Amino acid sequence: MRKIYLTSILLLAICFGAYAQRAKSVILVYLDGGPAQTDTFDPKPNAGRNYFGNYKGVCKTNVEGIEIGEKLPLLAGMADKYSLVRSLTHGSNAHETGHYAMITGDTSGGAVVYPSFGAVISYMKKDSYKGILPCYISVTSANSRFNEGGFLGNSYKSFDTGGKPESKEYEVEGIVNKYINRNRLDSRMALLNKFETNPMDKQLIDSLRAVNMEFIWGDSREIFNLNNEPDSVRQRYGKSRLGQSCLVARRLVEAGVPFVNVRMTGWDTHKKHFQKMNSMLPQLDKALSALLADLDERGLLDSTIVLCGGEFGRTPKVLWEAPWNGGRAHFGKTFSYLVAGGGFHGGKVVGKTDKTGEKVAERPVAPCDLIGTIYLLMGIDPYGTLPHVSEGDLPILPSLLDEKKSYGLLYEIIDIKK
Amino acid sequence: MKTVLIIIVCLLFPMIEASASDQCRDEVFLRRVYLTVTGALPQPWESAKFIDNQSPDKREALVDKLLDSELALKYMQMHWGDILRIKSEFPSNLWPNGVQAYNRWIYEQLLHNVPYDKMVRGLLLSEGSNFRAPAANFYRGFQKRSPENFYANINLLFLGNRNCTDNGHLCFSQIKFKSTKEWKEEIIYLDYYKELPWQKVVLSDGTALTLRPRTDWREAYVDWLTSPNNRRFAEVLVNRMWYWVFGKGIVHEPDDWREDNKPSNPALLNELTDYFLKHNFDMKALMKKILLSKEFNSKMAPEGFYVAQRLPAEVIVDAIASVTGSWHTYSSRVPEPFTFYPQRTRATHLGDATVSSTELELFGKVSRDVSLESQRNNAITSRQLLYLMNSSVLEKNIRRSGILKNIYLENGDVESIANAITLRVLSRRATPQEIALYTEHMQQNELPLMELAIDIMWMQINSNEFLYNH
Repeated sequence: MRKIYLTSILLLAICFGAYAQRAKSVILVYLDGGPAQTDTFDPKPNAGRNYFGNYKGVCKTNVEGIEIGEKLPLLAGMADKYSLVRSLTHGSNAHETGHYAMITGDTSGGAVVYPSFGAVISYMKKDSYKGILPCYISVTSANSRFNEGGFLGNSYKSFDTGGKPESKEYEVEGIVNKYINRNRLDSRMALLNKFETNPMDKQLIDSLRAVNMEFIWGDSREIFNLNNEPDSVRQRYGKSRLGQSCLVARRLVEAGVPFVNVRMTGWDTHKKHFQKMNSMLPQLDKALSALLADLDERGLLDSTIVLCGGEFGRTPKVLWEAPWNGGRAHFGKTFSYLVAGGGFHGGKVVGKTDKTGEKVAERPVAPCDLIGTIYLLMGIDPYGTLPHVSEGDLPILPSLLDEKKSYGLLYEIIDIKK
Repeated sequence: MKTVLIIIVCLLFPMIEASASDQCRDEVFLRRVYLTVTGALPQPWESAKFIDNQSPDKREALVDKLLDSELALKYMQMHWGDILRIKSEFPSNLWPNGVQAYNRWIYEQLLHNVPYDKMVRGLLLSEGSNFRAPAANFYRGFQKRSPENFYANINLLFLGNRNCTDNGHLCFSQIKFKSTKEWKEEIIYLDYYKELPWQKVVLSDGTALTLRPRTDWREAYVDWLTSPNNRRFAEVLVNRMWYWVFGKGIVHEPDDWREDNKPSNPALLNELTDYFLKHNFDMKALMKKILLSKEFNSKMAPEGFYVAQRLPAEVIVDAIASVTGSWHTYSSRVPEPFTFYPQRTRATHLGDATVSSTELELFGKVSRDVSLESQRNNAITSRQLLYLMNSSVLEKNIRRSGILKNIYLENGDVESIANAITLRVLSRRATPQEIALYTEHMQQNELPLMELAIDIMWMQINSNEFLYNH
């Protein structure tokens, strides 16, 4: 029923030109390992040291009534640009099933392995996207805890750039190779052409190689070249891996790439949690605030969805005892995501957790609700289907069709009406 | 001299002429059989020895040697691991401990050449702890634990049937799981007190099975499945093995047997199945027969039967590592403690789809999400070619290769360097035309000899002669 209703709305909207694809690109800033929601987007200053840890206070944001973690002052100054989802929940405390839930929107335990939403978007845009760069790019590598292509297969997996964007020369695998200049590669290719007399897929391979040569020496190289950015811009994002990766992401989105995955590892802080947060949160604060501001100043934020979060959160209660000595463990029951741009409203909060942050108090949000909303903004029907090699067409987000697994798309923070 | 001999022989026996000229050259056979059976390139000295060997039955001797080798057993273990979905984490969730036990079990089946019917019985009638009774991982490897799902996968694996409509799943309805106090250990057991189903079990061919109370109902089904009278069971394995060798089944896809999906060569399928049954499900004997067949020994299509196949991801990655001498060190991030594989572990020997690398992902390592053979995608893509053409990682591995450095130091001229590299990368010697080509390349670009060596190795790794089994 809901599906028919939505489809008819979509159709109507398309007829009147009101519904168009709102967002053109997605940047997922993925905090791999699971960031602590209570130290970032859902602080609990009144829950006592056993929960709040050693922080002195919180940051009041520029939006009345919204507070975020003490270590995120720059993001606090721009809360009107993003919204916070504080009531995400999937209940899984294992990395791989948590990743699976957050990256596919499916729940584990079924007979089928779903593709990541980056792969789905790259599948859906395969005909309309005409850019020279791949449709789905990971800076610098994708999470490989499960098969990201899922049943769509390898072709829709991300292109991993490899290399170090924070270094002097960002060596993007296959594109930037500092050992070899153009003349040398040309001479090598000439040698290869003369050598190769075998018929195996020769025509195909020759044509792909020719395309690659254009790709290597064409615009793509310049898009990845961070030395094209003024130093002030590079400084603004911070010289960390995350900061420079976010800058790469902005350049890619500018070039029209539909999905960019920026992954920062190291968030699995069972031990030395607070010491690690002291160095990691300022990096995140600087990088993410710069990304949002930069996109906004360039008029790109309106068409670019920015997401930030991990596979789950961390226990709101601090494990002071040995061997953790002030750590936080995995927590899938409730955690937060930051969402911005591409049609998401700014300055709002979705959902609420209880006093200590251990339970969802209001408006739970399932991973499929978040990903479904992103599909909607990207002009993809969240109730549509994907082709499976032996099972026929499968729902793009099966959990969305199950009332026990979905709590509704995030209509409260987008302009599209139910 | 050799040519003269062949001409004389051809004149005397016109029959032999046909078969001799249909056959691929020795060096082609050598590389083909190595890659097919072991997933590894022959060592350069093995290539030289085989090419120079004049014995008429050297092909059979080589096949015998390879089939008994550790490399072959491990490579066959990879094929089984793919379709049994052996993986520590999502979606199989066997956990490293279970993966090790399961792989070891399969390895031992292959080592002792346990007949196929016995091996399948071992898998399907398994019970016990996933760490202590390795074959029980067969049932633990299904993300969705329902008799229907077990049965659908058993049909897919052993009968090539993607769409089963009978109610054989009732035979698997006693299976239960319980956890133990050991982390991730689980016991697979049978509920012998389960009430008999009220329906009669009738299989697709009309066979009715009688289930008796307080017995293992799976046995009734497995007896029927693995019986020599159930010809389809043998045919599916024969065809699967043909597929593993040629990349295309006599019935294709090899796990999609339907009325309207006929074998391309029914006589061949029949002959091989008869042979397999006559040898009591002996998989090694079957493999040997296939490897000595005229099809496997033929020239490449269109002249002969053999169709070139791009090497599987694990094989390409291993092959590049073995020619440059720079091996990726694999580790498993599955907690805890993490597993670090010994240095120089081959990708084909990892045994766990959770363990991967950027290169393996790029070339399409199987993620073992499903039991379909088609999950392995060996199509060449522009991204793979991009990596080969201009990866700085690959460039470094060639540039810093100790093997290449030694080749350079031990050989003083273009010809001997080219021969040494070609023997290592392409398992043959360089031709005079190629040596002329290299000399010209060196002169035109004013390259020192070592830089020429780097370019030759780079070029050969990029060549489709290297990337394909041909």
